[in-house]
Amino acid sequence: MMAAALGPPEVIAQLENAAKVLMGRERTVAVGASSPVGAVALVRKGGPGARKRHHLPWLTLSSASMLSIYSYHLGSQNHHLQFASIFWCLVSSPETSKVDYVLFQAATAIMEAVVREWILLEKGSIESLRTFLLTYVLQRPHLQKYVREQILLAVAVIVKRGSLDKSIDCKSIFHEVSQLISSGNPTVQTLACSILTALLSEFSSSSKTSNIGLSMEFHGNCKRVFQEEDLRQIFLLTVEVLQEFSRREHLSAQMSSVFQRYLALANHVLSWNFLPPNLGRHYIAMFESSQNVLLKPTESWREALLDSRVMELFFTVHRKIREDSDMAQDSLQCLAQLASLHGPVFPDEGAQVDYLAHFIEGLLGTINGIEIEDSEAVGISSIISNLITVFPRNVLTAIPRELFSSFVNCLTHLTCSFGRSAALEEVLDKDDMVYMEAYDRLLESWLTLVQDDKHFHKGFFTQHAVQVFNSYIQCHLAAPDGTRNLTANGVASREEEEISELQEDDRDQFSDQLASVGMLGRIAAEHCIPLLTSLLEERVTRLHGQLQRQQQQQLLASPTSGSADSKTLDDLYEDIHWLILVTGYLLADDTQGETPLIPPEIMEYSIKHSSEVDINTTLQILGSPGEKASSIPGYNRTDSVIRLLSAILRVSEVESRAIRADLTHLLSPQMGKDIVWFLKRWAKTYLLVDEKLYDQISVPFSTAFGADTEGSQWIVGYLLQKVLSNLSVCSSEQGLADDTVQLLVTLVERRERANLVIQCENWWNLAKQFASRSPPLNFLSSPVQRTLMKALVLGGFAHMDTETKQQYWTEVLQPLQQRFLRVINQENFPQTCQQEEVKQEITATLEALCGIAEATQVDNVAILFNFLMDFLTNCIGLMEVYKNTPETVNLIIEVFVEVAHKQICYLGESKAMNLYEACLTLLQVYSKNNLGRQRIDVTAEEEQYQDLLLIMELLTNLLSKEFIDFSDTDEVFRGQEPGPAASRSVSAADVVLYGVNLILPLMSQDLLKFPTLCNQYYKLITFICEIFPEKIPQLPEDLFKSLMYSLELGMTSMSSEVCQLCLEALTPLAEQCAKAQETDAPLFLATRHFLKLVFDMLVLQKHSTEMTTAAGEAFYTLVCLHQAEYSELVETLLSSQQDPVIYQRLADAFNKLTASSTPPALDRKQKMAFLKSLEEFMANVGGLLCVK
Amino acid sequence: MADEIDFTTGDAGASSTYPMQCSALRKNGFVVLKGRPCKIVEMSTSKTGKHGHAKVHLVGIDIFTGKKYEDICPSTHNMDVPNIKRNDYQLICIQDGYLSLLTETGEVREDLKLPEGELGKEIEGKYNAGEDVQVSLNYSEG
Repeated sequence: MMAAALGPPEVIAQLENAAKVLMGRERTVAVGASSPVGAVALVRKGGPGARKRHHLPWLTLSSASMLSIYSYHLGSQNHHLQFASIFWCLVSSPETSKVDYVLFQAATAIMEAVVREWILLEKGSIESLRTFLLTYVLQRPHLQKYVREQILLAVAVIVKRGSLDKSIDCKSIFHEVSQLISSGNPTVQTLACSILTALLSEFSSSSKTSNIGLSMEFHGNCKRVFQEEDLRQIFLLTVEVLQEFSRREHLSAQMSSVFQRYLALANHVLSWNFLPPNLGRHYIAMFESSQNVLLKPTESWREALLDSRVMELFFTVHRKIREDSDMAQDSLQCLAQLASLHGPVFPDEGAQVDYLAHFIEGLLGTINGIEIEDSEAVGISSIISNLITVFPRNVLTAIPRELFSSFVNCLTHLTCSFGRSAALEEVLDKDDMVYMEAYDRLLESWLTLVQDDKHFHKGFFTQHAVQVFNSYIQCHLAAPDGTRNLTANGVASREEEEISELQEDDRDQFSDQLASVGMLGRIAAEHCIPLLTSLLEERVTRLHGQLQRQQQQQLLASPTSGSADSKTLDDLYEDIHWLILVTGYLLADDTQGETPLIPPEIMEYSIKHSSEVDINTTLQILGSPGEKASSIPGYNRTDSVIRLLSAILRVSEVESRAIRADLTHLLSPQMGKDIVWFLKRWAKTYLLVDEKLYDQISVPFSTAFGADTEGSQWIVGYLLQKVLSNLSVCSSEQGLADDTVQLLVTLVERRERANLVIQCENWWNLAKQFASRSPPLNFLSSPVQRTLMKALVLGGFAHMDTETKQQYWTEVLQPLQQRFLRVINQENFPQTCQQEEVKQEITATLEALCGIAEATQVDNVAILFNFLMDFLTNCIGLMEVYKNTPETVNLIIEVFVEVAHKQICYLGESKAMNLYEACLTLLQVYSKNNLGRQRIDVTAEEEQYQDLLLIMELLTNLLSKEFIDFSDTDEVFRGQEPGPAASRSVSAADVVLYGVNLILPLMSQDLLKFPTLCNQYYKLITFICEIFPEKIPQLPEDLFKSLMYSLELGMTSMSSEVCQLCLEALTPLAEQCAKAQETDAPLFLATRHFLKLVFDMLVLQKHSTEMTTAAGEAFYTLVCLHQAEYSELVETLLSSQQDPVIYQRLADAFNKLTASSTPPALDRKQKMAFLKSLEEFMANVGGLLCVK
Repeated sequence: MADEIDFTTGDAGASSTYPMQCSALRKNGFVVLKGRPCKIVEMSTSKTGKHGHAKVHLVGIDIFTGKKYEDICPSTHNMDVPNIKRNDYQLICIQDGYLSLLTETGEVREDLKLPEGELGKEIEGKYNAGEDVQVSLNYSEG
């Protein structure tokens, strides 16, 4: 290669020449007789010869892509050439549309090359390159947009890289740009805007930033410097332009497009994620990925942002362009960002109050009295939501009182109006639900606002809450009370759509809305609770009447009146559906894990009226769900909260009676779900209310639902009755059955409630019925049966005398065992095992075992474990019998998985060993049956490998004992042990390694293509390496090899998540080698190989930065272990460098890398020092050898 | 080395199905769809309107022909379930395209053809290689 001999100065000289030629040239010389390949060949030659060739019009797309490949490959070896060739390309390309792509590639290559060669280039040349690029773009207004942007990006990257060693001054760029802006020429102004946008993207150090192979720290530093000075400069320039435009009366289309660009730029600046001064490297990445950026500038922005003219400008701009939906989006976003202003920019609270007052004035002035456009809804709601979330309450209340109340009125008005529009959107089934989104946001703002009772006096928001609550109810009820399904002109629309089982339930889909509305309902309890009660009671009466009518029609066999009746029913069901959901969210919270408390507003409301309440009438209302509430004398003197509950019990009673009257087909399974969902939520909070948890308690509550009251006993009985009634009919309605058994679990999961439950005859009936496996309970789906079993087991731990307890277990668990043993001990079981009824029996038992395991708690684990262990042994026998029935095999393994998952952490040494032994036997049988089995199904899907997945899950669960262990040396089993633990025969490691032995040969590369299998597999092997590194060298040779191969495969050709897992596995392995000191052991040799892999990965390949830590740790440990090999690797790499400059740079970097840790030793301090140097190393030469 | 190979065949004659509530059917179980005994490969539920009752959508593969059948019915309805039996045999030899199979009771069955396609080739291959081959048969009565 000719050019190879040229040093950097010559190349630069060449480039400058090229640039001059370019700038001065307008002559096009066509050279004939050469193919596109020829053109590429010329590119390859590069150097001075090429410069003389001038233009190659046939340099087509294919050569452009060749160019990009070319620059890619040449990167590390003949990098000097690259500049020359790229420039030559740029210079020689004719201005035809076909070469746009070439130009684009050339700009990309320049950008990458400049960064790579930065320290070799003279600063002056870089400066002139930047000027050249800018001039190039300026002089060619008709360049394709994407080409222009790419060239500007190159400029921005140069400026950013230059800011590191202060070689390039941003100031000159701003000077140029402001001149461009003042030119008044729209094209030039657009260009100026593009330059600023490119700079902004580059410095934002977000995902938009180009990858230039420098550390996050560098990006962070650049960003900090930029945001102090230059960003503000850009903002001021932008504001000037916007001011100029907003003053004009008429804007031409072209002007308006420039206006739009600057508005977008302003938005870009205001959405800047200001980097706080001291943020660690790790946090930077996290920080930059945050979605919702609030405006928190540094102090230096005070003048720029607190100037009230700035805020006014954006309001003015919005008023001017609000009908243009695209631009309005930007202007509203700018305002939303300004609404989120906080931090050191405010000198004191007074300034914040002034700012807020001013802002709210501007906002009200803008939106009051206008018809809000569809496209404005979301933007306006974000502004309000930001104001309410960001400004502290004391600032909010410090603004003039009048102003604040207009603001809250405006919020109320908007919320109601957006709610109505959202309902309309639903009726029209719009794809883009803008009002729904806006409504969600405003409701959320309400939630933040009203939850603070320190700054607002009680009742401050009541009237507003009533309005919002009423409008919500109104939108969800059918006419005449409400407006549901009415289009804007009052026409009812009703569609029967197919709803798949995957569709989310309303109570989950709208949980946020419901939570806010429920909260508002609590604030205005005086109004809302009676409202809900009367709406519900009235509908119960109607539902009852309607069902009776239809029953009579059925009896008379009159022709089905059809759709009119079914519409009436559906409307009622939908009304009741929403009323129950709102009531549920109003009366109780949904908490996971902790005991939910009765909301204080509800408690206070009940206490406040308790003097006017007649307790006996209240109990009567509650205890007679079959009667109309208003038929009970003195019904108006009842506790309103209890009356609301009893209204829902009345709905429930109508449903139960309809079931008894064989009208199930007329009922709504959805409403059935709503009822049990509500009862569960209610029972968790109110049933057997614990008086110790409250300062004061309402007498009606404690009388009706307190411990040791008739009321609570009655309710428990009623709920149980409901569960039975549902389960008897709902085997065909999966969702209803699910919710019903959940209610049952709630009733027994707390000891106090369970104590009442087991006193009910129905509970024992349920237990017997379930144990007998007769219809209808045996028709329930398997998850429901599992949960039912779980509930029955939990109930067994309620307080009973010994005799009763004995009897209970005889009813619940013994039949399970007996039936099971009867089946499997039959002589001809091997023959009958495939008969459907036998199989069903077995499946039901296995499902029940899973349910029992799920019921495990710390205080029952001893009993349950012993019970289950007996089964586990038998289950292993079943593995043999059902070896050809995969679904049964899977279920058997699942029992083991569940037992291990729920119980291992409580087991002491000897019990754990029992479980290990059982698992080991299971694996042995599985292995025997699967040896040589081929899965020939060509349409193999992931679920056909369920057994493998389950086994890996089992092994992982067994391993988990190593880090989660609550056992206290068989504390819970005290009294059952023959003495101190017998000699340890099987350990977790044995089982797991045996299992791995089994799994490894089956995990072919094809199987690793299934993501869940692949992840579970690597999770397992990483666990093993971390927990039992000492066992790895003892593995049989084959197994050892495939384990090592798996690790290598995981590091080289799997997802980055898997790669990280494998790297994490390497450190303990290498440490193990260091301990063992056997230099001829296979593991020692294997780690040597991994050293090379990790070396290549770090030094030569592109890898994500988050991997550097895991890789660095593994690398250091490996280097400690194989110091000689490491030096050799470095030597080889260095000797392959022909370029002395590169050689030196690399050699220096490697020296520095290990300087802090010579000789390398496995000690934490040195390791940390090494990791730090590695980061520098990566920043310094990482981009040099790794070509991206 | 024992290789397990599954294939299915049918006995004509005796009619034997029993009813089962649609919602109690399970994936991998059997059901009669359009008069054919099928193995259920897909089951999903849906409802018409928010307050409608569940309907089950069934996809089954004819256990003899491998043809796909679909049906949709209210989940409270009863469906016919075929009586499927399954036997495991030890392969003794292959003659003229027929298999000689040893039953668990020690009798020999010779009325089964070597299946066509991949499965047949595989049985033949294993047999010729001298490996032990187990054959599993599914019957449907009716």
